[in-house]
Amino acid sequence: MEFLQQYGFLMATMLQQGLLGLSLYAPLMAGQLSLASPGFYALGGYIAAVILTNPAFAGWRDALGYGIYPLTWLLGAVVCGLLGVVVGVPALRLRGIYLALATIAFVEILRVLALNLSITGGAVGLFGIPQAFGFVDRWQYLWQFLPLLILTLLFFHQLSRSRTGRAFRAIREDELAADAMGVPPTRYKVLAFVIGAVLAGIVGSMSAPFLNTWNAKQGTFDASIAYLAFVLIGGSRSMWGPLLGGALLTALPEVLRGLADWRLVINGLVLVVASLYLPQGIVGSLGRKPKPPIRPSAPPRDEGPVGPPYTPETL
Amino acid sequence: MDLSSFLQNVLNGLAIGSVYALFALGYTLIFSILGIINFAHGAVFTLGAYFTYTLISGQFENNGLLKGVNLFPNGSPLAGSAWGFALSALVGSVLAGLVAVVIERLAFRPMRSRGADPLLALVSSLGVALVIVNLIQILVGAESYSFPDGIYGDLPGALLFKLGKKTIIIRTVQVIIFGVSMVLLLILGLVIGRTRTGKALRAVAENPGTASLLGISVDRFIVITFFLAGLLGGLAGTLVGSSFGIAGPYFGVTYGLKGLAVIVLGGLGSIPGAVLGGLVIGLAEAFVPADYSAYNQAVAFALLFVILLVRPQGLLGKLQIQKV
Amino acid sequence: MRRLSAVHTLNLLALNLLVVAGAQKIASPVPLGIAVAQTSNTALLGQEQVIGAKFAEQFINGRGGINGTPIKLVFQDTGGDEAGAINAFQTLISKDQVVGIVGPTLSQQAFSADPIADRAKVPVLGPSNTAKGIPQIGEFIARVSAPVAVVAPNAVRQALKIDPKIKKVAVLYAQNDAFSTSETGTFQQTVKDQGLTLATVQKFQTTDNDFTTQVTAVLGENVDLVIISGLANDGGNLTKQLRQLGYKGLIIGGNGMNTSNMFPVCQKFCDGVIIAQAYSPAQPSAANQVFVKAYTAQYKKPPPQFAAQAYTGVQVFVDALRVIDRKKKITEWTLPELRIELNRQILLGKYKTPLGDISFDKDGEVIQKDFYVAQIKMKDAKTGSFVYLK
Repeated sequence: MEFLQQYGFLMATMLQQGLLGLSLYAPLMAGQLSLASPGFYALGGYIAAVILTNPAFAGWRDALGYGIYPLTWLLGAVVCGLLGVVVGVPALRLRGIYLALATIAFVEILRVLALNLSITGGAVGLFGIPQAFGFVDRWQYLWQFLPLLILTLLFFHQLSRSRTGRAFRAIREDELAADAMGVPPTRYKVLAFVIGAVLAGIVGSMSAPFLNTWNAKQGTFDASIAYLAFVLIGGSRSMWGPLLGGALLTALPEVLRGLADWRLVINGLVLVVASLYLPQGIVGSLGRKPKPPIRPSAPPRDEGPVGPPYTPETL
Repeated sequence: MDLSSFLQNVLNGLAIGSVYALFALGYTLIFSILGIINFAHGAVFTLGAYFTYTLISGQFENNGLLKGVNLFPNGSPLAGSAWGFALSALVGSVLAGLVAVVIERLAFRPMRSRGADPLLALVSSLGVALVIVNLIQILVGAESYSFPDGIYGDLPGALLFKLGKKTIIIRTVQVIIFGVSMVLLLILGLVIGRTRTGKALRAVAENPGTASLLGISVDRFIVITFFLAGLLGGLAGTLVGSSFGIAGPYFGVTYGLKGLAVIVLGGLGSIPGAVLGGLVIGLAEAFVPADYSAYNQAVAFALLFVILLVRPQGLLGKLQIQKV
Repeated sequence: MRRLSAVHTLNLLALNLLVVAGAQKIASPVPLGIAVAQTSNTALLGQEQVIGAKFAEQFINGRGGINGTPIKLVFQDTGGDEAGAINAFQTLISKDQVVGIVGPTLSQQAFSADPIADRAKVPVLGPSNTAKGIPQIGEFIARVSAPVAVVAPNAVRQALKIDPKIKKVAVLYAQNDAFSTSETGTFQQTVKDQGLTLATVQKFQTTDNDFTTQVTAVLGENVDLVIISGLANDGGNLTKQLRQLGYKGLIIGGNGMNTSNMFPVCQKFCDGVIIAQAYSPAQPSAANQVFVKAYTAQYKKPPPQFAAQAYTGVQVFVDALRVIDRKKKITEWTLPELRIELNRQILLGKYKTPLGDISFDKDGEVIQKDFYVAQIKMKDAKTGSFVYLK
């Protein structure tokens, strides 16, 4: 129990970050590199924080009791899903690195908006957020994140076996061929993007009470890159990869706490070494027989006159 | 808006934009040859500024392992004159270039030889940036450092232009940064367009396999690319540092995000595009009305978002043929 | 509901175990936690707090510690984010078994981590959290960093004393900094209360370097006074660029610019800037003068505000522990009991600190009498001092 007191927050954070890694994995199932998750995560958190602290919603809170928490998850999911469609439809015409950059732009625009609106509390943010279901200790938030994680994994598992999952894979392997075979790429790409948005939104709305406060620092470019690292270090070809990557990379600076000033230096070295020696990610290299690389291992260089193109195949 | 405030805004925009352009030159060079985004560029940029500072001042403050160290108790021989600054900037940039070569050797080449996902270079270079930034802090602390006075000789702090009754004004250092970024662009264009090295670089960029069949040592040219990019980054860091001071170990890293917007806006892999992208974003920021200055930060990204939708290859990038 | 009652049972279990685990007596030296930003962008502020705290440990133990029992500071890095602050707090509370915590650096981090300490009944003193609502987080949360509302109007009055002809004012602030956004509100209100014209309000970010557009807007309004709420780097750069582009009027810098870290940024252009201070090395009390003398001897420059506030945080803990120790030897206490007693004692006591005489109200808000307005005087490009204005 003492162990839970000390490491409970870290354990819950590992699951939380693993879930965010999975939110990046969702569009990746259809071959789309989107880094929009921090934006949806921040938005979901703001929705929860506003509903849980703003006097305008006092009536809701009184009427619903603990029911208000699932409601914030639902609203986080719905709003992020809708915004996902609005952003996804135009953005998903872009490919590879261009999509990644458009989604980074989206995150940054949301951040600046959050800093400037009064409902989000500006730079200070929103604070004094009531604790979900009267939780007292951080480890109790495992009751939130663990079921969500299990549901998410089940969902992804079912999804990958479904028609939709096969369509995602077809687009991931070769979008033009998929199109030719009657799989409409745009619809499925937007769907995959929206799944990621909804997941990030729910995690955000669960995280506002977890962190006690919410502000514009929650959704940044740094987070985009961190989640990308989760996926790549964990392994991008299986849902276990982003989860493991998120959990391990989140734990790393805490494990290194004893090194004081040097811990981030070592953390950086680990990132370098991991990308050098685990090119398929942790999960990718755990597989008994190395899968034949379905993606070309180096970017095809013979397509553009200046610079190698980032086609969906390379990402 | 009258003519003088219009011109003032143009000048401001070019001044802001040339810093972005200068940062982006080395960033885009690596991308154009190797097709990877090198997040460590911001850290090399920072290092260049610190190297130059060490040469021209060598005095460290109260934090870090080097606290209280003064390399030149009687003052650096390079301090106090424009040529001294030029020399330290040159040496500092060369050192930054060498660091970039080491980074290539340790963090990029092994990946290339294993044929790893090019996106992994992003993570690896992020790791390198984390290492460099924190090493700087461990050594010299998180405080700001500034070059001593007199690095630009007797030039005045600002230049004034009369326009009827109104004056337009610009800081001298911003004019210098603008000039240097233009000159560097020109030199880089000449090197890549006209020299044998440049031809080889282009060959490597287009198809490393064919290039090596033609007898071009691909690894050697990649080392040259990294050295040039590091050199450009270090010089950029030094110049930007001379304008704003070296704002701690995160000085260059904070340009990484804006720099990304700049090189994509200009067209990934296009060197003139990076400069154009920087200037366009600078101008856009300068023309944001004062009342909306809070949204300044969003302008670059809104612009990026829109341009990407309209013209995904960026302003000067060439459309890539889709593989069928 | 079944799951909820399961949660409840687990909670009770946890609580019981906690009581059993906490039955050990306090060790000597007495561990006190310092959770500030030693890495990330925020380390610029955090490293001064580290110096201040380390100095306090050395200074206090040199003078007998807690009536003969020495203290030991345990540092845990918070980084610049919320999760980092919670992790640091959890580690201090559960693993390092500290009696209390000085930290974190940022107000946003305090809103995140302070509730953790409050629920664990561990007293916290905020060394630099100035946002509204911090002491109200809980009964175990107090701060030594006064909110800025008191000091900002004084700075404007001092500026008017220097130049009574001031009419038009420009206000600039760092919109991504919690402290600056709350401070600017006070400044803007003061400008209106004094019957001055607020010509323009410009926003920027603490990570910005280039203020060309903001300066152009300010120059376009022909103002006589510029008020900046920002931190050392951005505030210093703004000052420098205002001066280089020809602004001649007075400049007021907020409390975030009360640091000599600004000097290398604006160099000779820092000269004449009026600074609102929550701490001044010139504060005449004996407590401060002893501190300033010892600090200056060791670090070759007068203590910055962040160091002085962190020092004060440690000192308040030790002073309160001394009172408790006189009633019952510190090493005789169990940890949970001592934490509760310590919190009670902190709020009761009066302290002679480098910040002057301070005490706390029932929420844990610091009651500080002395605030200062100083004007920067640069000796050369790198060294300068804050000259106290009265």
